[in-house]
Amino acid sequence: MYKVLKATFITVWSLFVLFPIMWAITTSFKPESAVVNGATFIPFLEFQPSLIGWKAILPGPDSITNLMTPTLNSLIVTAGATAISLIFGSLAAYGLSRFTYGWKNYSNADIIFFFVSQRIMPPVVLAIPFFLLLKQLKLLDTHLGLILVLTSGLMPIVVWLMVDFFNALPREIDEMAMLEGCNPIQAFFRTILPLSKPGLTVAGMFCVIFGWNDVFFALTLTATKVLTLPVAVIALNGTVTPYWILAASTVFSIIPLVGLAFVIERFLSRGSLGGAVR
Amino acid sequence: MAKITLSNIGHSYNKDKDQSTWALKPLDMVWESGKTYALLGPSGCGKTTILNTISGLVTPYQGRLLFDDQDVTDVPTAQRNIAQVFQFPTIYRSMSVFENLSFPLVCRGWKADKIKARVHEIAEILEITDKLGRSAVKLGADEKQLISLGRGLVRDDVSALLMDEPLTVIDPQSKFELRKKIKAINKINNLTVIYVTHDQYEAMTFADELLVMSFGEVIQRGTPEQLFEKPNSKYVGNFIGSPAMNFLPVQVQSNEILFGSTKLKTNNASGDVKGKSIEVGIRPEYITLAKGAGENVIEAELLGHDDLGSVRVLKCVSGGSPVSVKIARSEGLPADKKLFLKLPSEKSWLYQDGRLI
Repeated sequence: MYKVLKATFITVWSLFVLFPIMWAITTSFKPESAVVNGATFIPFLEFQPSLIGWKAILPGPDSITNLMTPTLNSLIVTAGATAISLIFGSLAAYGLSRFTYGWKNYSNADIIFFFVSQRIMPPVVLAIPFFLLLKQLKLLDTHLGLILVLTSGLMPIVVWLMVDFFNALPREIDEMAMLEGCNPIQAFFRTILPLSKPGLTVAGMFCVIFGWNDVFFALTLTATKVLTLPVAVIALNGTVTPYWILAASTVFSIIPLVGLAFVIERFLSRGSLGGAVR
Repeated sequence: MAKITLSNIGHSYNKDKDQSTWALKPLDMVWESGKTYALLGPSGCGKTTILNTISGLVTPYQGRLLFDDQDVTDVPTAQRNIAQVFQFPTIYRSMSVFENLSFPLVCRGWKADKIKARVHEIAEILEITDKLGRSAVKLGADEKQLISLGRGLVRDDVSALLMDEPLTVIDPQSKFELRKKIKAINKINNLTVIYVTHDQYEAMTFADELLVMSFGEVIQRGTPEQLFEKPNSKYVGNFIGSPAMNFLPVQVQSNEILFGSTKLKTNNASGDVKGKSIEVGIRPEYITLAKGAGENVIEAELLGHDDLGSVRVLKCVSGGSPVSVKIARSEGLPADKKLFLKLPSEKSWLYQDGRLI
């Protein structure tokens, strides 16, 4: 009985969650007639699939918009912010996990809270300060500017996740590395980092998802040169664009994340996330 | 190899001013080069703190540490060149057995062919040559510990080898083998070894000298024989030897030691002891069964016995005090419950307030 209930619940919930995505995917393959004359669901029976929507957004003779440059921008910005956050975030987390810092009554826990508190603040509060700051630094509408701003939001996630991860790795490993002739930085890079792949993967995944999906800062801090994919898709929506083209561009913009999810899921399920350190 | 000198070294983890709470009370000590020492004592008595102070994982709250004549108190761990084996096997999980063993040499910037030769040499001694290519994670606990040990040994110039209860997680059969290997290696390399354990047999079989610790203090230092034959305190008498040393409360009156009404003679007997809580200590191994009353013979009642294979431990009580007597199995069990126990005077020692007089 429990099994039946569970299976039913999962099925219903999956349908509920997947329906909008299915709807977007099918719509992206529909010709005009299948969209404007009421709802159609099943390809080949109710409508003849067509590539008209996809041809409009991909480069070619029928292209009506350029999504390739925004895709490249998104890739650069996401990869840049993720890389910086992972490198400096994990170094910071290692320090916070292994050494004690303090000033008066403040110690490691307060520093970690300070990091996390960056995420508590609603981004809208930061929009104007960031705008003025980037303007001063002449970084408005540049890749670097957006990367730095995104990093400020992604780094706390990395620090927060990695402090816990490093705390779970036994101290004996870095003590041993130091006994064997490493300084703390070498101990980190040679012995701790290779063990941290699962943690870094999870942290990196969060960074990529948040970085890729960011609309707010991309919208407020860039104009035309660094147009990112989500902003470009929303811009399409603003002009009167046919639904099949909108659907195709939306599906196109989530493909990289879905692809990444599949790759990482295989990596994680290979079992290296387990805690058995000794 | 180096002579290690602790000069007035003391440590408190919470930087307490009150020395009585310190994990390691200030002590002066010299460890000679090339000798094997065992630190013995219950958990939390400061054994590991001493090791970590020597290796630099702990910076002592006070005092100086010298290797030969060089002050290394402020030298970072990496430059002290100490090999340490922890209680739990510590291996680099992301590396193969070979990479694990070569890691200290890689850190030192050795050439690849030299590393290979040295690693194979050590693997040969540890008998793990066939496992060099395997991933280190997949090994059993004893093999992992062997690799931890091997990593300490590949460096040919270590100042000292520190072992922190390395055999705790090893199952009994492998323990014997591993112990044999460690001993063999110590002989070959002639290292200064400090071995921490709470197992007295391990300590006695390994070490040239034993140090018994309690609450951050070294209570007695000496060869296994000295500690067994002449413990300087009740604590050492109880800690070393199994069953523990017997202690009989006595009274000293007009230059005579009286246990109840029996006169006793001891090795360090001077009848001029004054005060209270005076006891005579004697090892269960040295008490013999006498036929009847005589000099240094006490009466006792047999309560029961433990069978330990080749020997038996008789559990007796005499004048309200428990007395253990170790006798060979071949002697047979006494038929009578009433026993006469002979306490040889050269093996009996007089203690006051828990200290040897």
